[in-house]
Amino acid sequence: MEFKLEAHRIVSISLGKIYNSRGQRGGIKLHKNLLVSLVLRSARQVYLSDPCPGLYLAGSPVPPPQPGEPAAGPPAGWGEPPPPAARAAWPEPETPPGAPPARTAGRAVDAEPAAPGAGDTLQGGEAAATAEAEAAWRRAEIRARGGGRGRRGPRRRRGCAPRGPPRPAPPCACPPGGEAGPGALSCAPRPAKDERPVPPPGCPRKRGAAAGDGPADCPAPGSSPLKKPRRHPEEPAGGAAAEEEEMETGNVANLISIFGSSFSGLLRKSPAGGREEAEAEESGPEAAEPGQICCDQPVLRDINPWSTAIVAF
Amino acid sequence: MPSHRMPSEADIISTVEFNHTGELLATGDKGGRVVIFQREPESKNAPHSQGEYDVYSTFQSHEPEFDYLKSLEIEEKINKIKWLPQQNAAHSLLSTNDKTIKLWKITERDKRPEGYNLKDEEGKLKDLSTVTSLQVPVLKPMDLMVEVSPRRVFANGHTYHINSISVNSDCETYMSADDLRINLWHLAITDRSFNIVDIKPANMEDLTEVITASEFHPHHCNLFVYSSSKGSLRLCDMRAAALCDKHSKLFEEPEDPSNRSFFSEIISSVSDVKFSHSGRYMLTRDYLTVKVWDLNMEARPIETYQVHDYLRSKLCSLYENDCIFDKFECAWNGSDSVIMTGAYNNFFRMFDRNTKRDVTLEASRESSKPRAVLKPRRVCVGGKRRRDDISVDSLDFTKKILHTAWHPAENIIAIAATNNLYIFQDKVNSEMH
Repeated sequence: MEFKLEAHRIVSISLGKIYNSRGQRGGIKLHKNLLVSLVLRSARQVYLSDPCPGLYLAGSPVPPPQPGEPAAGPPAGWGEPPPPAARAAWPEPETPPGAPPARTAGRAVDAEPAAPGAGDTLQGGEAAATAEAEAAWRRAEIRARGGGRGRRGPRRRRGCAPRGPPRPAPPCACPPGGEAGPGALSCAPRPAKDERPVPPPGCPRKRGAAAGDGPADCPAPGSSPLKKPRRHPEEPAGGAAAEEEEMETGNVANLISIFGSSFSGLLRKSPAGGREEAEAEESGPEAAEPGQICCDQPVLRDINPWSTAIVAF
Repeated sequence: MPSHRMPSEADIISTVEFNHTGELLATGDKGGRVVIFQREPESKNAPHSQGEYDVYSTFQSHEPEFDYLKSLEIEEKINKIKWLPQQNAAHSLLSTNDKTIKLWKITERDKRPEGYNLKDEEGKLKDLSTVTSLQVPVLKPMDLMVEVSPRRVFANGHTYHINSISVNSDCETYMSADDLRINLWHLAITDRSFNIVDIKPANMEDLTEVITASEFHPHHCNLFVYSSSKGSLRLCDMRAAALCDKHSKLFEEPEDPSNRSFFSEIISSVSDVKFSHSGRYMLTRDYLTVKVWDLNMEARPIETYQVHDYLRSKLCSLYENDCIFDKFECAWNGSDSVIMTGAYNNFFRMFDRNTKRDVTLEASRESSKPRAVLKPRRVCVGGKRRRDDISVDSLDFTKKILHTAWHPAENIIAIAATNNLYIFQDKVNSEMH
């Protein structure tokens, strides 16, 4: 049991590091974040390796996924949809959800080092985690349904136009690029007066103004992009257009599998609490420090230890 | 050379490098500055000041940049400095931050022409009616002026953060390595480089390791090595293919299962790799050890030295305070018989490969009065404690010696302790063994 506590603590610390790394001067350090994600994976494997009554995985112990393998086909009990309340927190893409969500998971936490600017995938740490969960759950659902549109190719050039008119920003959606200065993480909810479209979390990258830049499953039915800041121009480096790339620090299927599995359980377990958790997460960064466990809030008492680690951020 | 200003983060030394003769010592700091020290020639008049290093030149190498398109700030911190072999009276060095490498030329001016016909001493034009005869300007001595100018800027070659540069023995090319790629440059060509290693996976989610350091072989201009975050070394031969993704040799030590912990992967990441002067061996540093590898044996290192094994039980705390991510460098002495690396509490360690003896020394102002003899230190891990021992729990982890350098020929070492540079000289044993 001590191992589980230790693992839990390490997970909390690791999440804190990933969260803090976004505000770092000089951009996200790929090496350090990779190492942190490896520790996170190890801790998670230990945590999941022996079943304990507190686990939300109802009943059957789940074998730890292979390293690097995203949470494939969830075992029975995992596949329930998140409650409608939680779903409404995020603008649903109008296209089939299978399209880019997998990328969001990796992206949102370790997204472009253009931390404040690359608004489309960069969200507050805690909100990102929820988005990943949502995304990962969707992906798992698609797989369960038999494939859908799973695309695993290089997704750098996938462009997704904003889907429809700007929606009221969900909690902690980042503003579109350019508003935040270096090191700033704007996670405050933005009022709808912001005319620029709030990109949905399922959209990994915007590649210029061409909505059709990406695969066919990302059309913007009936909506023309309002103002689409060109956030990812070509790299002048090698010169070749093929080299148009960002410093991709969206690593880690590990993170997807960690957050995906834990969050699907989190949302499933307490539908009413889902909202509260989302709110708790918003205030998380201010309230919690890495390593500390907020156990004194009534809403958290019933939640399994996994979620307290996530909620702390 | 302690800084006279209030210590600030910009003064933290981030790299130290002797030139090929040891006459010059360059340091780079977090503020983007380079300071070059020059060894004073030994003089019979003042025997006590022989061979000391004084400031020779200071210049701003890199400035902070902001990439507006990516909303990304680029730090000005100097990650590495490498001297070019000297080919004429001028000295040249390469300095790099996360994204841009610059070639600097350092020249001396100790004479100036005097006796112009059309200008007077202040440079004002003379009244031509006063010029009655022609004179030939002559060179007169002047106070030494050291001039530094940027000769080349090698920009836009790297998407990720540059961690190493290394000048080839052909003196025409050099390589720069970031987390995922290594580029080969020609010293005279700045608008293009050749990518020779690319370990970026097609799917970034499959990323499992990054490049941590790289270096050219000292004699064979076609060979280079790069280390990874997984603890492996890859020796590559540029003659084999244009893209050296397939290594010629892979040096990897199997993990000891009894030492497995959450942090096994972090502590096995290699933070520095250095070829020996002979070219026969490689030295690597990971979090707890330094290892010597023989180029002819890939299965395991031939020697492993524990730098601070007492930290093995404290890895969780070191993870929490980020110390576990510290990247220590390592160095050979000129004869490849002694290796050196830094540690915490301003300690640094030396290991004699022949006698198998090691010593821990401290770089601090108290113990480093001029011409004082450094006293060996000891960290006690419980059990009997001697008088001057330091206990593990009282180590100061904010005082870390990440960067050290050894004079190429003599027993002179340069130690960077945060924002202070210490230069120690072994007068008794000035000859290399």
